[in-house]
Amino acid sequence: MNAWIVILAAGLGSYLFRLSMIILTGRITMPPYFERASGLVGPAAFAALAATGVAAACRGLDLTQAAAPLAAVAAAVIAVLRTGSSQAAILAGMPAFWITTVLLPS
Amino acid sequence: MISLRADRRDVAAGARAMAPWLAGVVPFGLVIGVSAAQATVPTLAGWLTGPLIYAGSAQVATIGMLDARAAPVVVVAAALIINIRLIFYSATMARHWRGTPWWWRLVAAYLLIDPSFAVGLDGYRRLGRDRAHAYYLGGAVLLWVSWLAAIGAGATAGAGLPTWLHLEFVLPLFLIGEAVPKLANPAQRRAIFAAATVALLALSAPLQLGIALAIAVGITAGLTVRPDAPVHPPHPLQRTTEVRR
Repeated sequence: MNAWIVILAAGLGSYLFRLSMIILTGRITMPPYFERASGLVGPAAFAALAATGVAAACRGLDLTQAAAPLAAVAAAVIAVLRTGSSQAAILAGMPAFWITTVLLPS
Repeated sequence: MISLRADRRDVAAGARAMAPWLAGVVPFGLVIGVSAAQATVPTLAGWLTGPLIYAGSAQVATIGMLDARAAPVVVVAAALIINIRLIFYSATMARHWRGTPWWWRLVAAYLLIDPSFAVGLDGYRRLGRDRAHAYYLGGAVLLWVSWLAAIGAGATAGAGLPTWLHLEFVLPLFLIGEAVPKLANPAQRRAIFAAATVALLALSAPLQLGIALAIAVGITAGLTVRPDAPVHPPHPLQRTTEVRR
């Protein structure tokens, strides 16, 4: 199975989710915890993917080299906490990455 | 009755109601486009996640996990777990769309995602059922066009940018930006810390199963928080455009 088929399968499944209750309405009921769980999927997925992405960026680097991605993460977290804006993460994090890379001894 | 010709003003009103959402949606689409261009998957395949999956978080997970060479079944499962909320949107809209032609339900369901759900639901609450159909379609089509254009622009720009910019790191930063504001909610906070911890511990798991496992553990951990646990108020400056997931 290659990337194209994976994307097609995920797309088809997502469309069936969208259609599901329009077709089945009135025939099945959803348990309450199911709705609670759906509100947790996004945060859990974001956290898992972010942690994996940061770890991938640091893989094989010594502590000095890893300072750039780690500084970017720190700047992103602080910026979002201070501004409340999600987009501040990129606006603060990427410059922190570039500045730290320039300042580090090569 | 579906009659868009008679309801042009409602179509336009739906599009206008969608416009503020685009401020949050378009940058997200650009990030996905850039990440698709930087990933090892074909850029066109990354762009196709837009029209086929049409859900930002699931698209991010799909592109990220394909780039990390996760097993295909794991990638599809992760995308579908993330999109499970669409079942609730479908259940909510079903009563408004009952009795409409099948072609309408097929199209309207395809366009159903967080912002179109929010705008559409507002229309069904305020307007009559027939007018609200046009209102929903006006907002949903504008969102769809903007989303695909943003991903395309990001993919085009991302492919031509130099590697020293390390744009592959934009995506983790974007995800951090999405997760941090959710730390104010106790259940989501527990889900975030549990998922991040398991993801790091399971980095060497085969087929990138660690990500799917981390999501499952995060959801389970979040469910252990009592639903009536106190929730801190959101930061006064916190944006509320995060429904695009």
